[in-house]
Order: sequence, then C-alpha cells, then structure tokens
Amino acid sequence: MTPLGKNSPKERDSSLLAAVAAGDRRALEELYLSYHRRLARFLSRFTRRYENVEEIINDTFLVVWQNANEFRSASQVSTWIIGIAYRTALKSFRRQKNHAGASSLDEVCPEQTIDPTIETEIHDWLQQGLGRLPIEQRLTMELAYHMGHSLEEIAAITDCPVGTVKARMFHAREKLRQCLPALGGAASESRARIE
Amino acid sequence: MTNNRVAGDREHQEVSALIPWYVNSRLSESERLKVDAHLVDCAACRADVLVEQQIFEAIKGAPTVEYMPAASLKRLQTRLDALQSVEAAADAAPVVRIRSGRFPKRALMAASVAVMAITISLLLADRWVQFRAQQAAPNYRTVTSSPPHAHDEVIRAVFAPTITLVELQAILDEAELRIVSGPTEAGVYSLAAKSSRPVRSSLTLLRQHPTVRFAEQTREEPAPGDSP
Repeated sequence: MTPLGKNSPKERDSSLLAAVAAGDRRALEELYLSYHRRLARFLSRFTRRYENVEEIINDTFLVVWQNANEFRSASQVSTWIIGIAYRTALKSFRRQKNHAGASSLDEVCPEQTIDPTIETEIHDWLQQGLGRLPIEQRLTMELAYHMGHSLEEIAAITDCPVGTVKARMFHAREKLRQCLPALGGAASESRARIE
Repeated sequence: MTNNRVAGDREHQEVSALIPWYVNSRLSESERLKVDAHLVDCAACRADVLVEQQIFEAIKGAPTVEYMPAASLKRLQTRLDALQSVEAAADAAPVVRIRSGRFPKRALMAASVAVMAITISLLLADRWVQFRAQQAAPNYRTVTSSPPHAHDEVIRAVFAPTITLVELQAILDEAELRIVSGPTEAGVYSLAAKSSRPVRSSLTLLRQHPTVRFAEQTREEPAPGDSP
C-alpha cells in the first residue's frame, strides 16, 4: 500500500471533512471547490441544464454539511461524497424523467454536433445508446468509464453488492452493442467465429 | 473434459465481467493477470476488450463544458445561511422549553391535581352544607308558619274562590275582623281584629262558615294597646 503523503488528496479530504464536521464553513467551501469540477463534468453528461447540475452539487454539499459527523473513516471521503452525489442525481434524474414523461434520459442529454468524422459518429451513436440505458446502468458505466472508478468503489458509491454492479454493467454493455452496430458488429463477428 | 469445459465457461464469464475495469485499468494486479492469461486463448473476450476500449475512450474523451464554481458556491452559501438561521431559531425554541421545563412536569401535574381536588372538596362541602340546611329546615311552608305579614295580623284565612266580595265582607264583619293584606297568590288573607273580641272567638266563627276553607290563628291575643 502506498503510504499517504502529508498533503495527499485523501488526507487533505479527511482533514477538511473533519473540519466540516466541526462546523467550519471555510473547510466546506474548500471541499466544494475541489469537487465541483469533476462532479459538474460527470453530471453534465446526463443533463444539458447547468441549473440541474448545480442543484445536484449544492444538494450534495448540503448533505455533506449536515452529515459530516456521520462519516466513517473506513471508506474514502471521495467515495462518500460521490455516493451522496449519486443518490442525489438518481433522485433528480428520476424526477426529471417523470416530469418530462421521457422513457429515458435522451431528452436531457447534451445534443452532439454532427461532425463528418468516424470518431464523432461513434461518439454520437454512443451518446444516443447511453441515453437509452436505464439510469442505474448508465450511471454504473459512467462511473467506470468517465470517473474511472473500480468495481469495489462503484459498489460503495451505489451502495450495492459487487455482483449487482457487474450485472448492471453487463446489461449496459449488451444494450449498447445493440444500439451501436458499428461496434457491436465487430464483437458479434468475433463471437460468431469463436462459436 | 466436461469439467474443464465448465471451469473454462466459468472463467470466461468471470473475466468477461471484469473487462470494463480491465480497460479502465482499475483491476487489482491478480485480477489483471487473470484477464491477461484468459485473453491469450479467448478471441471473444479479446473482441470485447476492443469494443469496451472504444466505448471507454469515447466516454472518457467526450467534450465537456467547464463551469466556474464561484456563482454556484455563492448560492450554496446563501442556502447554508438560511439553514443556519432556521437552526438558530430551532435552538432558541428549546431554551424556552428548558425554562418552562424548570417546573417539573410531575410537580405541575401534582399541583393541578391538588387544585382540582381542593376545588371539588369545596364544591362538595358547599353542597353538603346546603343539603344539611335543607335537611334541618323543611322545604315547605304552611300558610301560618311564615312571619306575620302585618304587625297586627292575628288570623290567616283562605276563602272559597267563588265567594263574592259582599259575602267576604259580611263574614269579616260578623267575626269583627278586617283585612290587613291579601289575598296572596295562594289566596291567603291576613286578618286583624277590629274589636276587643277574642281572636279565638273570631276564629271559631270563621271556621263555621262554609265558604271559609282555612283559618288559623297566627299569634296570641294582641296586647290591649295593639287594638286599633
């Protein structure tokens, strides 16, 4: 295990959260500024409206402010905060979906500009495919691919068993392949050759 | 042979489930080695790795919009200020409760019970006194038991309701009595002596008359000076 430096992000987060638990507003602001960028980038993949992104982030940090003393050092501060953001986002997206009457998050996904390059075409197809996934499956895939979280971290963030995370990812991959023939076709051909 | 195939299928499923974390480089060392070893012999998983690699790169490299946090933080601070104001108000409320709580609830309850008990006792005592008074003094009154209506009243009498004024006056003249007051609601007349005739004699005369329903002496013979 890598020893933590005095100024390592984990140790810094722990110190800040301890200060927040003691009622230090400046510590909360510092924590907010250090997480805002990554949370905003992550959440903006689900909604084009920044007011929705901001609402989720601010709701998240209100929960952090109110429950900082309940944090147990057995888990990482980042996992704890992102877990709060995950649950807040899940509620918000479900609410948006109900209000919009949409069957998926397609309608709240950022619109992609069409670019006559293959990469952009794949990206556009992928965005549409991701938009058709159930929110839990998409969040699992985004946590792994956009945020770069491990299987165990996603299990902690989503408060689910590892097996559930694997199952969600499995179904997400299967559905994406059906939506993305350019990608899924290659895999299907490979699979057909093996079988 | 079959056992090897089952074990192989199980390993294939396990490795396949780990591919997303193989491509994002978040597997443990032992898991990564396991996947690497499986990929050597499994073309399907190799193809899956290629597909997931493209998805991973596409998602990771997707353009994102950068937002400045300052305005959002300011709005959070406003919400926190409001929240703290509410909490401060909530903190003030328990102080009032604590102050009022200095009177122990049990003591308050006991005092209330005591006040109620005293009130009930007083009410009962009052009712008892009234009851005893009612018991001591009969709750009825005879025509002659009440004090004389006039200082010279000697007889109270009740006449038949059909008696005429002339008949009444004739009876009174005969008995040498005069009306002092009456009749009351019950038809009672207070009569006084008009002469020195003994009251008992006047009473006897009244009682003999058929239109006199009731006649009773209310006092002893008046003193000689009382007669008009």
